[in-house]
Amino acid sequence: MAIAAKAMQQQSTIHQTSQQEEDIRELAGSHILCEALVREGVELLYGYPGGTIMPFYDALTSYPTLHHVLVRHEQAAAHAADGYARATGKVGVCVATSGPGATNLVTGLATAYMDSTPVVAITGQVGRPLIGRDAFQETDILGVTQPITKHNFLVRNTEEIADIVHEAFRIARSGRPGPVLIDVPKDVQQAKAYYHPLAAMTSDEYLCLHVSPRPAAYLLSHAGQLIAQSQRPLIMAGHGVILSNAYAELYAFAEKTSIPVITTLLGLSAFPDTHPLHIGMPGMHGPAHVNEAIGVADLIIGVGLRFDDRVTGKVSEFAPHARIIHIDIDPSEMHKVKVATVPIVADAKVALSALTEVVAPDDKNVWLEEIRSWEAGDNERLQGVRRNNELPDPIGIMQAIRTATNGEAIIVTDVGQHQMWAARHYCWTRPNSHITSGGLGTMGFALPAAMGVKMGWPDSTVWVVAGDGGIQMNIQELATLQQEGLSVKVAIMNNGYLGMVRQWQHFFHADNYSETPISGPDYVKLADAYGVTGMRVTQREEIETAVQHAMQIEGTVIIDFVIESEANVFPMVAPGSAITNMIKEVPEEKS
Amino acid sequence: MTHSIAPIERAAQSSVPQGKERTYTLIILVDDRPGAVDRVVGLLRRRRASTQTLALVGSERPGVIRVTAQVTDSDVAVDHLLEQLRKLVDVRQAENVTRQHSVMRELALIKINSSITTRNEIIESGRLFGAHVIDSTPETVLLEVTASKEKIDELITLLEQYGICELARSGNIAITRQSSADMEEEISL
Repeated sequence: MAIAAKAMQQQSTIHQTSQQEEDIRELAGSHILCEALVREGVELLYGYPGGTIMPFYDALTSYPTLHHVLVRHEQAAAHAADGYARATGKVGVCVATSGPGATNLVTGLATAYMDSTPVVAITGQVGRPLIGRDAFQETDILGVTQPITKHNFLVRNTEEIADIVHEAFRIARSGRPGPVLIDVPKDVQQAKAYYHPLAAMTSDEYLCLHVSPRPAAYLLSHAGQLIAQSQRPLIMAGHGVILSNAYAELYAFAEKTSIPVITTLLGLSAFPDTHPLHIGMPGMHGPAHVNEAIGVADLIIGVGLRFDDRVTGKVSEFAPHARIIHIDIDPSEMHKVKVATVPIVADAKVALSALTEVVAPDDKNVWLEEIRSWEAGDNERLQGVRRNNELPDPIGIMQAIRTATNGEAIIVTDVGQHQMWAARHYCWTRPNSHITSGGLGTMGFALPAAMGVKMGWPDSTVWVVAGDGGIQMNIQELATLQQEGLSVKVAIMNNGYLGMVRQWQHFFHADNYSETPISGPDYVKLADAYGVTGMRVTQREEIETAVQHAMQIEGTVIIDFVIESEANVFPMVAPGSAITNMIKEVPEEKS
Repeated sequence: MTHSIAPIERAAQSSVPQGKERTYTLIILVDDRPGAVDRVVGLLRRRRASTQTLALVGSERPGVIRVTAQVTDSDVAVDHLLEQLRKLVDVRQAENVTRQHSVMRELALIKINSSITTRNEIIESGRLFGAHVIDSTPETVLLEVTASKEKIDELITLLEQYGICELARSGNIAITRQSSADMEEEISL
């Protein structure tokens, strides 16, 4: 690889000297910005014009390969760019003007930051002479976004625009990915400078030259020893597996060692749910047998996860008997929550493939059988739970979507009860088919993010699953979907409550449903008003027909599923409790 | 980051027992770009690190700022803080020099009330600590002293009896040394 990289570097140097002179042109900053975006391979931008970003929008019409999507709120631009980035692995780009435009991006950038997705945000800024003078629509967006971006830039002069764009893409993509913001004063966009197209290295060129190193041999051998000695090991796969495209490596590692695999919320679809070694999702709403397995495990191999508090519950009682092999690309994640016996700072793909080489084939079937017996016991107990059989049920909705799409759809969920039902009861088999806001838990994420997902995978079916609270937070994006001619299927699990908060009020606040009952529009009429198709489903037996009907209709479809109003997500671990201490659904006496 | 494969006897950052804090000196080299120092200070703020002193000044390398920060925290929290500092794009280097052989100095400018009777006493007390007289009026004496934080604290205690009307301290700056000479010996002035 090193030789290839060197050859490429030499080649590009020769290429540079011969071509550079004829390519150097004097251009306005706004054009240089577009040129650099084109060179980075950008095809899509989500944004909203305004005063200080107008020179950029003026230049944009000269670059037909840059397809701009006009969102209805800048927050949606950031989520759409994030959704696009999560689904494709490419950098999502969003654009906004200064002041309110830029501050509206904040929630989207924080969402991308918490879930480590590569996003580049370009914001207009007031002209340099006005900065710091409380000019119209001036906000110190560098200061505002400093703690929620991987890095941010203020472009000080037109000459540095191209370098900064390429550096921003490099930072967004390399190591642990994250959002980067570029703040461009209006006069910097207007001023002219000489543009040297090949003077700066693109992020692609940079990443070709900087290959992730293999973990040190002593770490691998120590990890190998721990794996060989362990009786009750578990693999916990997080978002890092998806970000580094390490599906095949995880598969090979799990199969060779026969270690049961747990996928975290953001790790869902990193490993097929149908695989016999897959046991489920851990943490606050994970099935009982998964949390119980963690409780008795003697080794946890954590790959690309950060032991979030929703996964660990009370840290001192999380995996109390286990030693930890922690693989993560970010050194600051090591020992942050759990002390790792073997900390491996590496890319998940590289580390898993190296680790697979050092381990011996093993059979941990006895351990897997034990976990499966707990699972069977739990399933048997749940048979006794009395259920409402008339209203559409969340599990049935997820299963109907799965059946209708043959598991080939990409599911984008919002935040709340439906998110947990979807995570638990959709059978994830297509790699990276689960897109959700995990770390920040941003309501209103799903619809705009799905727009980005659909544009990244135009030939795939994209389903949004959202609650009636979250869907109303960015419902205006139906207009954008319609304007772009995009087809996204939306399932609203409508219970007339902010369901997850109501569930907490039920368990921890003595049923004091303070400000959780919520009304909504007539979604069928709303869909009609936006020019898309709407349906309402109030009977359980209608679920499948409705889902199949939605799949046959061209264009965006909204299905308003009127579900039971006070259904809870089970099991549940109270915040701060040990994950083995779960609130479970109790079988009731049949009347 | 050094990785030991021996069982690690340490706490995770999230489970540090209270009351184990001590003061650590960190040297952070950052690129002189807009917002670079902000990011370092912002990170200290976000982590609720108790920052005792913070000194910012250019370094021997053009375009690089040397930040010397003293923070009070548990050792594992400081390790984590360093890893997070190293993640900042502008940070070139971040080291904890507390356990290394290093020299730490602080500059203090002390303006003391004086009269004809106390003037010589004040100057004499200052001289014991290597202080120079920078300015002198019938009512005040201005002393300049460069020493360790502890020495400066001692001098201030000594001068309090005369009445300190103004005090300016730079906060510690630190540098590692190549030799392993006894630090304390060097510091006693």
